[in-house]
Amino acid sequence: MTKVALIDKSSNLISTVKGPTGPEHRQLANEVMRQALEKVSLQIDDISCIVATGYGRVNVPFADRQITELSCHARGVFSIFPNVRTAIDIGGQDAKCMKIDNGRLISFVMNDKCAAGTGRFLEVTAATLGVKLEDMGDISLKATKRIQISNLCTIFAQQEVVALLSHGERLEDIVAGLHNALASRIAALAQRLGIEPDLVLTGGGAKNTGMVRAVKESLGRELLVPEEPLLTGALGAAILAGETYMKAVAASGAFSAKPRRLEKATFFGREHR
Amino acid sequence: MAGEKEKRAINRLESMRPLRAKVNETYLKSVEAMQAGKPAVWGMLNFYYGDPVLKAMDIEVVYPENYGAIAAATGVAQQYLDRANADGFPTHLCGYSLTTLGYASRMMKELKGQIPPEAPLGGMPKPLFLMSSAAICDARYKWFQSLGRYMDAPVWTLEAPTPGVKEFFIEGYYDRMVDLGVKHLSSFVTFVEDMVGRKMDWDKLDKTANLMIEINRVWHEVNELRKVKPCPMHSRDFWSAMPAALFLAGDLEDSLGLYQDMYKEVKGRVDSGTGAIPEEKYRLVFAELPPWHSLSFFDKLAERGWNFVIESFGYRPPIPIDLSKVSDPLERITRFNLQFFAGYYEDARKQNVLGGAFAYPYLKYAREWKCDGALLHPLISCRSASTHLPYVSNMLMEKLKVPSLSIEGDIVDLRLFNPQDALARAEPFEETMEHYRKMRKQEGLDW
Repeated sequence: MTKVALIDKSSNLISTVKGPTGPEHRQLANEVMRQALEKVSLQIDDISCIVATGYGRVNVPFADRQITELSCHARGVFSIFPNVRTAIDIGGQDAKCMKIDNGRLISFVMNDKCAAGTGRFLEVTAATLGVKLEDMGDISLKATKRIQISNLCTIFAQQEVVALLSHGERLEDIVAGLHNALASRIAALAQRLGIEPDLVLTGGGAKNTGMVRAVKESLGRELLVPEEPLLTGALGAAILAGETYMKAVAASGAFSAKPRRLEKATFFGREHR
Repeated sequence: MAGEKEKRAINRLESMRPLRAKVNETYLKSVEAMQAGKPAVWGMLNFYYGDPVLKAMDIEVVYPENYGAIAAATGVAQQYLDRANADGFPTHLCGYSLTTLGYASRMMKELKGQIPPEAPLGGMPKPLFLMSSAAICDARYKWFQSLGRYMDAPVWTLEAPTPGVKEFFIEGYYDRMVDLGVKHLSSFVTFVEDMVGRKMDWDKLDKTANLMIEINRVWHEVNELRKVKPCPMHSRDFWSAMPAALFLAGDLEDSLGLYQDMYKEVKGRVDSGTGAIPEEKYRLVFAELPPWHSLSFFDKLAERGWNFVIESFGYRPPIPIDLSKVSDPLERITRFNLQFFAGYYEDARKQNVLGGAFAYPYLKYAREWKCDGALLHPLISCRSASTHLPYVSNMLMEKLKVPSLSIEGDIVDLRLFNPQDALARAEPFEETMEHYRKMRKQEGLDW
């Protein structure tokens, strides 16, 4: 997903947009920004400072700064939960655990190159089960039996799921088992970092009620979940943009923003079709 | 600007180049030896134990571990990995072993003993025998046993008892280890004499042992110079220059002169305040074995101001020890070999770090080389280079407030290392290093 968060001078969130991320990051960034501005009747020139974050951050041509998603997540989570010390972000591409001190990232661990510790694990297995990804969490909460998914590899887990179905296991129990398998991997990652409360769960994984339950059980700890867990990174980027702007103004009286061109961006100097 | 020489991120040492060339010389000489009907041997990294014996016997030695790294660095490893997999070796075996098992399979099964034409540096010729070692891990000597079967050649495994820190200090333990080492080395000499049909020249062995010890002393001193800020020598130069000290690659007298030259060059940089990278923002320790196929990854980090100032315990010269009063060369060699493993033990015991040979050195490195962070490279295919790393990470944080970044990969298999992903993690890690820099100051640490 590509997200935009706009904040005002007092750091109040005034507009947000989420859009699916495709291979052409730059064109989509342009579009979601246009939508976010339209919602509050603003023009791109009204924005004082823009920070881009995430894997595609270098592909946002109108951004003034690029800041890593870890720093932005840390700042965004802190703005919602000021006592946060540890945050876990379960995204589609990776899972990361962050230690946060007063809004600053002080340490982190990320999953290795395997999809098994990420949201992709549920996405792939949901497709195998013929279930919508957004329904997986609720289905898992109806489990009556604890099934162990023993394969750590996403591909082998798919095969295991098919085998479990053919052995007559209930869908709900299998789905809960998948959530537990993912949660245990993420818990191991978080424990490697060392968990301190308050502990916050963000990312797409935090929108899944079954996932929240499974992570809570795996860690044996209370979890805080933001109202909109997909937006913490974008919110953090907006807050850091605000700070960047204020710092520059305090130091030299003005912030030198990039030329604001919110037109359709192009690859290789021409329209990519 | 056109015509202007591109500025490199790492200011490589000129004195490194002839030392790096020693590796090429070694392979060339082994092939020449084979063509002249002289023996060549495949050796395993054995930490200064069997090498001087072979050197004194004028036997050319090539090192499959080193060759695995070369195959990775030159981009030909993949076909050997695939071949080893096709022969039934699982992908999670050590990358060095898979590469050379694939090489051996191609050479012996497909080419009837001829060196594969695509083999880098002229290739490794068929050996008279293989010298294996029990040091570090069991997988290594099983690998050489397999190579021996492909090559239809005998394998000698050097014994290498490696005690823990506590055990090492049991009364009489060290002396018994020396006795065992000397006896075993003596048997190895007899084995080599039988294999080549010549007797050992003991004066030559004596001289060889002394040269080996002196080379490693100078090499140690070179690395001590890296404690200054900015650090004058990057890990890439260490890895390039190490084979002449670690494997005794090339002519020893010549190597000694080259390490002395390197000392002069590094000292010159220290005196002039010249760093290995233009702007040293962060000083890092690297553990353990690098991704040989992606060393340019370190150039990218150098562009960010990351200077790798110390690295790879397993490749480092032993802490110097005075063995001049030990008259028997076999005993001198044995004690020097033991010094590699146990040289840090006294210090480790004082610090109550019982992780032993592999973990404790990193505490010393981070403290004395004043590191801001550690880049840990756990290898999916190597337990020995990986299992101590979480311990290292915890120890550095608890005792020194030095954070670690762990990036999984492999020494040979490019498929297991993702430089882009690694670089994506490097940027936020700078924030972590900045934080702990402040923490160290708060705790009274001086860097």
